[in-house]
Amino acid sequence: MSALLEVSGVSKAFGGVRAVDDASLSVEEGSITALIGPNGAGKSTLFNCISGFLRPDRGQIALAGRRIERLPPHAIVHAGLARTFQTARALTRLTVLDNVRLAAPSHPGECLRNLIARRGAVRRREAQVTEEAFRLLRLVRLEDYADALAGTLSGGQRKLLDLARILIASPRLILLDEPMAGVNPALREELLAHVLDLRATRGITFLVIEHDLAFVMRASDHVFVMAEGRVLTEGTPEEVRRDERVIDAYLGTDV
Amino acid sequence: MTVLSSGEFWAFVGVMAGIYTLFTLGLQIQFGLAGLLNFGQVAFMAVGAYTMAILVVKQGWSMWLAAPLGVAAAALAGLLVGLPALRLRGDYFAIVTIAFSEIVRWVATNEDGLTGGSQGTINLRGEGVAAQYNSQWERFQGWLGEQLGIRSKDVVMLLVVWSVALLLTWLAGRLARTPWGRVLRGIREDEDAVSSLGKPVFRYRLQALVLGAALAGLAGLFYAWQFSFFSPDDFQPLITFFGWMILILGGVGRMWAVPVGALLFGFLFAATRFFDFPPFSYLDSADRAYVRLLVIGLLIIGLVLVRPQGLLGRRQEMVLE
Repeated sequence: MSALLEVSGVSKAFGGVRAVDDASLSVEEGSITALIGPNGAGKSTLFNCISGFLRPDRGQIALAGRRIERLPPHAIVHAGLARTFQTARALTRLTVLDNVRLAAPSHPGECLRNLIARRGAVRRREAQVTEEAFRLLRLVRLEDYADALAGTLSGGQRKLLDLARILIASPRLILLDEPMAGVNPALREELLAHVLDLRATRGITFLVIEHDLAFVMRASDHVFVMAEGRVLTEGTPEEVRRDERVIDAYLGTDV
Repeated sequence: MTVLSSGEFWAFVGVMAGIYTLFTLGLQIQFGLAGLLNFGQVAFMAVGAYTMAILVVKQGWSMWLAAPLGVAAAALAGLLVGLPALRLRGDYFAIVTIAFSEIVRWVATNEDGLTGGSQGTINLRGEGVAAQYNSQWERFQGWLGEQLGIRSKDVVMLLVVWSVALLLTWLAGRLARTPWGRVLRGIREDEDAVSSLGKPVFRYRLQALVLGAALAGLAGLFYAWQFSFFSPDDFQPLITFFGWMILILGGVGRMWAVPVGALLFGFLFAATRFFDFPPFSYLDSADRAYVRLLVIGLLIIGLVLVRPQGLLGRRQEMVLE
């Protein structure tokens, strides 16, 4: 196995607050890697740096050997990295089906010129995209809601929609920001099963921020622990669980 | 009340509603599709009208060449405003647009040499010579009237404006349902989510702004042709907000809501002209003009209370989070 994502020495400050401070981590191809740490540890800021929503002050980020830290978010998606957000970001006044279709890559119909010049190609791609979208909605069992507005879905269903939506672009690496937060226990099991299944069948790599330790213990191969902007330690879930510094960081005791 | 039964008067009301349809269609693409708060739409209307008039009078160009250039100039203005300003978030962008529209109006007022200044287009050749940009248009109107067997120029204008307005409304409706329109609607909902799905949000918002600006430019052309004369005073910020009222009355996000809203607004605006019965008759005409706007405002507030989604909007879309 080799590192699919390599984060080295990334820092990001907001005013005087060093939200991420010289953080380094690497995610092995085909792994489910967890990123844990107490609130305010800088996990989400690091996610935003990786996915291009924030530009790091210092440091490098490489995806499959290609530097991405200066790319805008949409270009990073094209490079093969997709993400979800802490609260699901359903496009509420679009249908569930349109939420997925919108995420399809290289659609000629999204360019004004092609709508006139390449109408045939637009129609063919749209049919293809619709079929693929239905397949993904069936996968997460939302196909009955295809024509409903996404705003009518529950919080947990929106998380499933977020997942289906990014899958249509066939990402190599998916960043999940607290997938279990605000999801009822039944749907949690379903989400966990999806993550394991997607790795097994499609070889997708995951980097997951999660507070739900049951998820971390059951799903992840490797865990990075952040506290106060730094990567405190790393290891297998079992190693990390026994690490005194991790316990201290969560309980707020001095290291 | 003789005016109310005059066909010409209603033709005029209809023409204005058609012009406002084009104007507001631009806002519908910008706000209804892409979620852009453009409070300076009138500036693009002014750029379209002035470009056409200046090219015809000063350069001696054919109106048929000057007109598309007017639309192009409005689109270009949209591009130039959008390139820096669309990097700002919603409210800040709105502030820039309203400032831009006032800048355009003040430049038109003070650059006498270019625009004829506060006296308007009659001064385009300088003081003392009455400049006219409209002769080719009037000839066309006359010719078309002959072909159709219609005497009244107002009715001819009505047909031309509404043919264009309905055609473009239909086109805009089709555009909204394409994959391109889908990306714009997504941006309206949550631009960060859409950019995390691999779409270059900035480029789409710029396209929406430019298209909407071009439509305002076209509205400016018809406005110029309808009145044969205009001045910077015709492009007050209030015009932009009339467009917004039409948008809200008709319903945000539905292209066909624009002509419906424009007709209703035109009717309200025209009907309140004839408040010459008590208690309105106790006021002098200047006061009555203000009361009229007040009544229109109250009527719109009432309509919005009853149908917050507008005449053609979907109620469900108002309550989703």
